[in-house]
Amino acid sequence: MAINRIRKFLVSSVLLTTAFTASAETFVFTAIPDEDETKLVERFRGVADYLSEQLDAEVRYIPVKSYAAAVSAFRNNQVQLAWFGGLSGVQARRLVPGSEAIAQGVEDEAFETYFIANTSTGIKPAEEFSELTDELKGKTFTFGSKGSTSGRLMPEYYIRETFGDKPEDVFSRVGFSGNHTRTLRLVEAGTYQVGALNFQVWQKELGDGNIDTDAVEVIWKTPAYPDYQWTIRGDVDERFGEGFKGRVKEALLNLKDPALLESFPRSGFIPASNDDYEPIRKTAEEIGILD
Amino acid sequence: MLSYPTVRTSLAFLAIAVVGLAFADISITAANPWRDLGNFFLGVVTPNFFSSEGLLTALLRTVAFAFVGVALGSFFGFFLALAYRSWPVRTFCAFIRAIHELFWALIFLQFFGFHPLTGVLAIAIPYAGIFAKVYSEILDEADPDPGRLLPPGTGRISAFLYSKIPDCWAQMRTYTAYRLECGLRSSAILGFVGLPTLGFYLEASFSQGLYSDAGAMLILFYVLIATLPLWVRPRLIPFYVLGAPFFLGEGLPIVWGNVQRFFTQDIIPSPIRNGEGVAGLMSWAGDLMVEQALPGIWNTVVLTQVALVVTGILALLAFPLISNHFGGPVRRTTGHILLVIGRSTPEYILAYILLQLWGPSMLPAVIALALHNGAIIGHLIGKQTNTLQLRPDATTGFSRYTWELVPRVYRSFLAFLFYRWEIIMRETAILGILGIYTLGFYVDSAIQNIQFDKAMILILITAALNIGIDTLGRFIRRKLALQTMPTC
Amino acid sequence: MSGFDLSGLTASFGGERVLGPLSLTVNPGDQIALVGKSGAGKSTLIRLIHEQVGRKSSLVPQELGLVNALPVFHNVFMGQLDKHPTWYNTLTLVRPFAEDRTEVKALLKALGMDEKLWIPTASLSGGQRQRVAIARAIYRNAGLLLADEPVSALDGPLAHLVMSLLTERFDTSLIALHDVDLALKYSNRIIGIQDGQVALDESSHRLSPADIMGLY
Repeated sequence: MAINRIRKFLVSSVLLTTAFTASAETFVFTAIPDEDETKLVERFRGVADYLSEQLDAEVRYIPVKSYAAAVSAFRNNQVQLAWFGGLSGVQARRLVPGSEAIAQGVEDEAFETYFIANTSTGIKPAEEFSELTDELKGKTFTFGSKGSTSGRLMPEYYIRETFGDKPEDVFSRVGFSGNHTRTLRLVEAGTYQVGALNFQVWQKELGDGNIDTDAVEVIWKTPAYPDYQWTIRGDVDERFGEGFKGRVKEALLNLKDPALLESFPRSGFIPASNDDYEPIRKTAEEIGILD
Repeated sequence: MLSYPTVRTSLAFLAIAVVGLAFADISITAANPWRDLGNFFLGVVTPNFFSSEGLLTALLRTVAFAFVGVALGSFFGFFLALAYRSWPVRTFCAFIRAIHELFWALIFLQFFGFHPLTGVLAIAIPYAGIFAKVYSEILDEADPDPGRLLPPGTGRISAFLYSKIPDCWAQMRTYTAYRLECGLRSSAILGFVGLPTLGFYLEASFSQGLYSDAGAMLILFYVLIATLPLWVRPRLIPFYVLGAPFFLGEGLPIVWGNVQRFFTQDIIPSPIRNGEGVAGLMSWAGDLMVEQALPGIWNTVVLTQVALVVTGILALLAFPLISNHFGGPVRRTTGHILLVIGRSTPEYILAYILLQLWGPSMLPAVIALALHNGAIIGHLIGKQTNTLQLRPDATTGFSRYTWELVPRVYRSFLAFLFYRWEIIMRETAILGILGIYTLGFYVDSAIQNIQFDKAMILILITAALNIGIDTLGRFIRRKLALQTMPTC
Repeated sequence: MSGFDLSGLTASFGGERVLGPLSLTVNPGDQIALVGKSGAGKSTLIRLIHEQVGRKSSLVPQELGLVNALPVFHNVFMGQLDKHPTWYNTLTLVRPFAEDRTEVKALLKALGMDEKLWIPTASLSGGQRQRVAIARAIYRNAGLLLADEPVSALDGPLAHLVMSLLTERFDTSLIALHDVDLALKYSNRIIGIQDGQVALDESSHRLSPADIMGLY
């Protein structure tokens, strides 16, 4: 402890700064950057305000640039709560013993990935993925982020299962757009012929009239799997007081503000548990994303 | 002509690049690359300076990180320079500067997280290695006579302060100021991995197609760099350096246990951590080599070689833009502006922009590397031609270019090009983070999968590759007797 | 203390011997003018002697060895860096002590350039630079002066001023000079070098200019 203090002191004096004031009382959370940043900031500032009010504590949201950065910040105890995807949540909870999935969106129990194609490819929607094998072979394809469940893990799983090959061997070009909105834009523009994205993002953009349906359409929908969830560190009670975890969970489950829910977009939050995400863990291990 | 070693070397590199081109993936995959490029330029000419509340803060942070990082780098680099004769110090410096700022940032992010220290060290560490090398070169070139004439028995420190420092001071100051400009670029791109500098907002606006916002940020960045001589005055520097730490932002507190965990667990290869023995380690390392390291090395080398030659061609085409031997003042002013924009824009940002517009392939990366590095070399060569006095009846126009100027500057052109070889490779590796399959892609993938053991090995491989190219570049420059001054 | 006795001095350049082997004995009180045509080995001899007796000598080399970026004061002060502790020297770089300022200024006044005390040596003329190097050697205050063409860039009256100052300040000296009149006037012993060997070693008052011209 003493050494830590000395080190801290040295670092502070080297930087000649008194600015490191982020106090232990601030409850910090983050979210995987699965969509355009402006939307995320808008959405999670709302959540921060809501939680701050409900918990009667200072709550701060910090935006991050990658899924891994969200997981690392959670692991490093720089954030105590995070809105993770299925895969990032599994990664995070493996790395932080005692951490727990406490709530998920109503839609996250049965989440889906949509495969979309630029209409210039002439690919028609199908019920079974295997019906599309010939048409998909040799096309260009983009995932979302490397760490995404709906944009990477599940589509890769179904590609491998159906084609018996790695995505790189199925498609002529494989990219990682970064997030779902960008996947949509890239396929719409024809930069990639085919892509896979989070069905909620598709439906929301479609509802908002932001999709040129003459240029891009859904060609296949995956079976349902569990996805997004709020995960909290196990040690928050020690740090923020007895029963804090319960209060956070309660606050999330009681979130009813329609505008805020719409921004996710989720119709509400329901309880979740670590076990709900076992299928995701198995899938990730199967394709080698988890050791 | 073929009897000239410089010409033969150039042709050999050209041939390698042509062969490399055959293996490189250089297609434009975007359906409407020119329309998007047009939209982007439209955004730049209709900048929106009031888009984000964070824009001015981001600029301030960019400057603060650059100042603190460069100041610390120059401080430690100076002391390393004093011991630069010892090979462990030389090797250490070569190693720390072979790892790109963004890689350092990605490493520190894993245990310091979003603390200002992450950004400061990401700049300070590689810069210390570069400062050590350049300072030691400057000190070595100092006139040795005054030192010899000192009364025997003069203390080492007194001797150093009187006979070396005054002689080298001006050069060291010029170089440090120049590095500050590089530091601003480094600082800006740190935003791409989440630090609160310009890149953070640039990435956000760009990825959402908010070109007017992105244009405003770029314009402010150019203004910042172009006005450096106006606001960075020798007398003000102490105030900047002392004040900058207060403008780094708060970030999040460091949890020191994470540092220990990173070094004692995270970066230990997983087979060792899991007690799988030598056999497990071998197969782990074998997989890593075959599936990630080798393809990464191959793509990095191919892209580097192609980009190097395109850079050279571009530099040769660009230098007349600012040369006094061609065109009038209007043309030259425009040329200056173009070259300043080219060299002020970090490769990473150029590549990011072009990748967004043209789709993923090596082409945007090649163009980005060539634009930035070609502008730097073109600028230096152009300035050099301005010191040349041609005979009054020298030919004009294209013949002047081919007969009078190119032969005169060709050697220093090659010197700069080979000096930047290693820099181009370092950047090529890092561009992988943007989705081109160079080493940076695999490093980023490993980090995204929370496999820091793999990431570290791949970063070490990247560093080794850079050191190799640096050595080869120096060998060729020595062989051809080319001399140059350092650039960044 | 200020004399020396050296033997077996040799120097080679590119495998060819350019000086020696020769022996030289200098007694305290010897004020020697070293003469001979350019390339005879005068500079080499001075360098060799300096290497051997370094600690005891003040040197004015032909290339002067000034730190161009430093003002005249500091270049002169460098002659006594060994006499002060490091902190004193470091502080002097920033702000010289009054005592040293007065001393150096007086010395420069004797050389006719005290108004240049704070000018960087880089902006001085050749003759002024030469006098700074001489001032440094005088300030160094060793018992023996070794100087290589110390007045080559100075005009007549100044050359005499400087030479008489040097003979006044140094009892024992070895000064390479190409000007025969100066050599005869400001020395008590003349050594002539020809083809790397001592061709002449005589008291000055026994020599006439014609005797020396034979060496050229």
